[in-house]
Amino acid sequence: MTCQRCSREASVHLSETVDGSRRELHLCGPCARKAGLAPPDPPPNAALEAIVDHLIVQHVGELVGELARASCPLCGQTFMEFRTGGRLGCPNDYEAFAPGLLPLVRTAHGASRHVGKSPRRRTPPGKSPGLRLRARLREAIAREDYELAATLRDQLRQEDADR
Amino acid sequence: MNLDALTRTSGEWLRGTGPESDIVICSRIRLARNLADFPFTNRASDAEKTEIERVCRSAMDKAGLDLDYQSLVNLGPLDRQLLVERQLVSRELSNGDGPRGVAIGPRENMSVMINEEDHLRIQVMNSGFSLPDVWEQINDLDDRLEEQLHYAFNPQLGYLTACPTNVGTGIRVGVMLHLPALANTKQIEKVFRALHKINLAVRGLYGEGTQADGDFYQISNQQTLGKSERELIRNLSDVIPQIISYERQARQEWIGQRRQHLHDQVSRAYGVLKTAHTISSSETMHLLSSVRMGINLGLIDDLEIRTVNELFIHTQPAHLQKIQGESLEVDERNIARAGYIRRRLLEGRHDDETAD
Ligand SMILES: [Zn+2]
Ligand SMILES: [Zn+2]
Repeated sequence: MTCQRCSREASVHLSETVDGSRRELHLCGPCARKAGLAPPDPPPNAALEAIVDHLIVQHVGELVGELARASCPLCGQTFMEFRTGGRLGCPNDYEAFAPGLLPLVRTAHGASRHVGKSPRRRTPPGKSPGLRLRARLREAIAREDYELAATLRDQLRQEDADR
Repeated sequence: MNLDALTRTSGEWLRGTGPESDIVICSRIRLARNLADFPFTNRASDAEKTEIERVCRSAMDKAGLDLDYQSLVNLGPLDRQLLVERQLVSRELSNGDGPRGVAIGPRENMSVMINEEDHLRIQVMNSGFSLPDVWEQINDLDDRLEEQLHYAFNPQLGYLTACPTNVGTGIRVGVMLHLPALANTKQIEKVFRALHKINLAVRGLYGEGTQADGDFYQISNQQTLGKSERELIRNLSDVIPQIISYERQARQEWIGQRRQHLHDQVSRAYGVLKTAHTISSSETMHLLSSVRMGINLGLIDDLEIRTVNELFIHTQPAHLQKIQGESLEVDERNIARAGYIRRRLLEGRHDDETAD
């Protein structure tokens, strides 16, 4: 739908009932602002993609170069894959991608520090023996080193039994 | 678990009782949790997902939780859809692939999804406006699981989730509201704009991107980091009474100015539902919404809110087909739906009712 005042795409849709008759308004962002109507703030979820784009553009060169090469040693996810898919690969990614991720988290939530309940058992995510063993297991299978894979599987079982 | 039984029962959250239950259908809290020792679901292999499923199931057993586990892998599309209509699993889990499942509590007030976007999505739902009760139940459930599981957690960022929009508390606090008068007078858009400004999201009955069929709206928090669970619950709880009072006001104005007109609309809706021989899902939702409001305004006095709440769910496509015991095309569903509604409206009347 196009804006009723100009030919741009309308982004603000309003309708109100005045004395029983309904009036509809379809305006683009700039025309809505001119008319004194602020377009609704997009919810943070929808804004996330835009925020990532913005951050990447803002830090071209310096950050993008570094981030473009960043990948998580434990799950293989790259920052660019996160940027396109919006999902992280493993708990360690929060550390692996910290320079790109923390500004994003801060913008999306308006905060950067957890407040609230916490579990009693805490292992820093990058130090989780299970996650590391599983990463090595995946590599071993990819290399078709089934002997190592079998050993790693035994170690994982042992880890599991110890807990 | 026998899924067919779901078509003869209804969840606790549809009881139609509890505080403000004329407008608040139910209160729900969800927690996103992940195991520290595994990649997130989207990056886990099927073998790893099987392992995650095993670890979580064993934790639920050890915690002595009275939950019934249902693997989604063995379920056909109709059964999976039934669980979605019932609000026990998300569409994402239903449509996902690989090892995944859901553990369901008695009376359907709890469910724990395994291998959704996060390894665990824990959910508790109660009828009416009762977030403090829901929080108490889910917090206890989470504590009991945490004793058995090793959650991914980092002191700065809190519970780590596959999507950074859930990081921190991992909490989603939601209230499902029935707002026919605000929707009818279009005042609802003003409410939405105000809610967006304070970072609350509004969705339809079945989540993101769904139309608000039947004038049901889910309001939930977006922020999950930097505030405690209790603060986030309070932020949402504080605005709900205002919305409730706007809706009540809009209903009173409507009935004050156009009583005959409103009474006519409500009675006609009830009449169509009682007599139709074919009816679409969307018309059903629309008419049930009028009838539900009519009961609350005292314009209909021989029908229970609970029956209407159940009809909203039991007339959805998968429920209908399970009730009929066969798969139906759209036209056949419309006929089956009308028949089912006629039967239920005859049994649902107060004067016919003996015991619960
Ligand atoms: Zn314009
Ligand atoms: Zn990773």
